[in-house]
Amino acid sequence: MQKIIGIVGIPPLEIIRQINEEQGKIVDLDEPQLPLSMNRETHLPQVYCAILRTVMLNAMNMPLDRVYIDVGPGKCDCALHVATVLQNFLTIPIITTRNRDSEGFGYPICRSNLPLLEKLQAITQGVQSCKPSPDYPPSVPTAGFWGVPPRDFSLLSLFPDSTHVYGWSRCMENKTPADMELESSCNPAVPTVFFAQSFCAKTALAKHLAERHPKGLYVDCDVNAGSSVRAKIEAFLELSRDAASAVPAASTASTDNGSPGDDHAAG
Amino acid sequence: MLLADFGTSYTKLFTMAEESEPRIVPTRELDPAFMADLATGHNAKRRGRESVNELIALAKGGRRLIAEPDAVLLDCGSRDIKFIRYQDFEVADMGWNAECGASMGFTIELLESYYNIDYTTVAVPETGFSVTCGVLGMSNIFDAVVTGSSETEAVAKFVRGIARNAFRFAGSPDRLYLSGGLCDNPLFLGCFPCVVIPLGRFVLLEGLKEHLRSKESH
Repeated sequence: MQKIIGIVGIPPLEIIRQINEEQGKIVDLDEPQLPLSMNRETHLPQVYCAILRTVMLNAMNMPLDRVYIDVGPGKCDCALHVATVLQNFLTIPIITTRNRDSEGFGYPICRSNLPLLEKLQAITQGVQSCKPSPDYPPSVPTAGFWGVPPRDFSLLSLFPDSTHVYGWSRCMENKTPADMELESSCNPAVPTVFFAQSFCAKTALAKHLAERHPKGLYVDCDVNAGSSVRAKIEAFLELSRDAASAVPAASTASTDNGSPGDDHAAG
Repeated sequence: MLLADFGTSYTKLFTMAEESEPRIVPTRELDPAFMADLATGHNAKRRGRESVNELIALAKGGRRLIAEPDAVLLDCGSRDIKFIRYQDFEVADMGWNAECGASMGFTIELLESYYNIDYTTVAVPETGFSVTCGVLGMSNIFDAVVTGSSETEAVAKFVRGIARNAFRFAGSPDRLYLSGGLCDNPLFLGCFPCVVIPLGRFVLLEGLKEHLRSKESH
């Protein structure tokens, strides 16, 4: 009988390989899997990362055979504590991992012209495989999305298809979730939204990078992206577009960050 | 062409080519079927045949009214606060706080009528409450009154706390352009620890005019 195995964060590739070999079904517990209200989750404080509250909600209400939770530098300290809570409530094995994988698999999806929502769906789906992403031709970016896959994917529909993905999402596709250098990299030539889940430690990095970026906007949101968050992103992208169209093409920045074909800004 | 800024408490209306000054109507007095041709504000999508994002309207309106290349514009509404920071005439930063900035303007107006206070006669207090939002700050007023402060003193400290919170939200600038109904509240203006230049209640309508102008020029 096929085992159903929950994962939180990105367990090391070796673990994914083992699960694939035993033909287990991987369930990403970071994503909403059940049509249940978040209020049903009562074991964590209400003021806590919405992704980890989602993990709790899923893990407590799904028929799982075991769970792998990455608690190393590629995830967060909060996941470590959530692992403890789950170990105390569930009888199935809750296995903590510390992913230090450093072999880069590339990030063609991040640089592609797919709609941003599809990009993030493909990236999160890719975590369940040991293979690199399919090859996509790189696009010319007009906007950037830096951060983790949001709890509420609907906010991604506000971005143009030519949005490039940075931050931990790029590390996910590259299968190196603890690569701080890759996580911190972005393109100063494109207007970039620096997103983090409210109450996540990554809010500090997101805010810091947004402040240093010449055209950066820091945004955080909790369970759902409310109207003010959506309006902020919408306004930022539109006003950035207006500003870019007002600048003569010759003076518009076109930056090469060292990766051929990557991240040239549209003029 | 009817332009409207549908605020939570007040709607600001302007008919292009017919009126010289905008009108202000309490939002709750609007007919449920009332529609504008071009709208911004809280109810814009419902009541506007075409709508413009509030931050965009604020940014464009501010740009029409502010001559300086570098400036900070803060809009204090009934239910939220928004800011735009311009650098070299372009928008360099922005923010919209509908959660922790909730109900600031609404609460100040509510307190005015509840305690029968005339804000034009209230002195700016030297200290204030630490107020995160209108709702959470109310208990400070009740506590102060219980411990001997006058109602007016307590409300003044509350207003100072709200102004300081909005000031920090806008990035603590040396000079601040202010938009919204609170431009008419001298106590609120006096509570900012910086130079405040009130632009009045129609900055978002100016943004709608700018939106029309740029559409026509394309």
